[in-house]
Amino acid sequence: MKLTAEKNGTALTVHLSGELNTLTAPELSTLLDKELGGVQELTLNFAECDYVSSAGLRILLATFKKMKASKGSMVLANVGENFMDVLSNTGLDAVFDIQ
Amino acid sequence: MKEENVLRIPAKLEGMDVILAFVSYLLDTHGCTPKARTQLRMAVEELYVNVTLYAYPSGEGWAEIRGSIEDGVATFCLIDGGTPFDPLAKPDPDILLSGEERGIGGLGIYMVKSMVDEVEYAYRDGCNQLTLKKQL
Repeated sequence: MKLTAEKNGTALTVHLSGELNTLTAPELSTLLDKELGGVQELTLNFAECDYVSSAGLRILLATFKKMKASKGSMVLANVGENFMDVLSNTGLDAVFDIQ
Repeated sequence: MKEENVLRIPAKLEGMDVILAFVSYLLDTHGCTPKARTQLRMAVEELYVNVTLYAYPSGEGWAEIRGSIEDGVATFCLIDGGTPFDPLAKPDPDILLSGEERGIGGLGIYMVKSMVDEVEYAYRDGCNQLTLKKQL
């Protein structure tokens, strides 16, 4: 999986490319641990990632909770069909801000 | 006649790519929609990861995947010789909870159930056997 982070003041955008699965999810976790300090607006761009397994969902949920606790926001952008199915099947479509 | 393909590897997390490559290879050689392919790969990933984490308390053991496609239906069976355990017996998580109320785990098996047409557990000949079926 390829991850690219763009920081602009308190805004952080992470572009994901590839599959967010059990083997790659720790890479996202490490990147967020490193970059999330002081961030108020987090955008995760899924334009090139339409495979998200439960390991990926765990990180998204943990990050969502962190952002919420610091009164920040987390947006999932450019969600594809398969990822959207996963979000609806797990009820997370009602939890996350999906754009 | 139904042709069955079999792959047996050490039950280690690093083996997940090989297991998923096996799933993709079989589906791609028979032809399959991208959506069914993703869903089957995800379902197998969730089950395989469970085997690597929980089947063998010692950390050493094997996992086997068997796959076949017949009349447009893909069947994959994941087998291990570890501790008898039926992951499907766990109650489904409450998917109506808000983000704050949710635990961060427990979604994997639930996702498997929603992504395939049938999933079945059996303990046979000293082995855990999880069988997935999905119309392609």
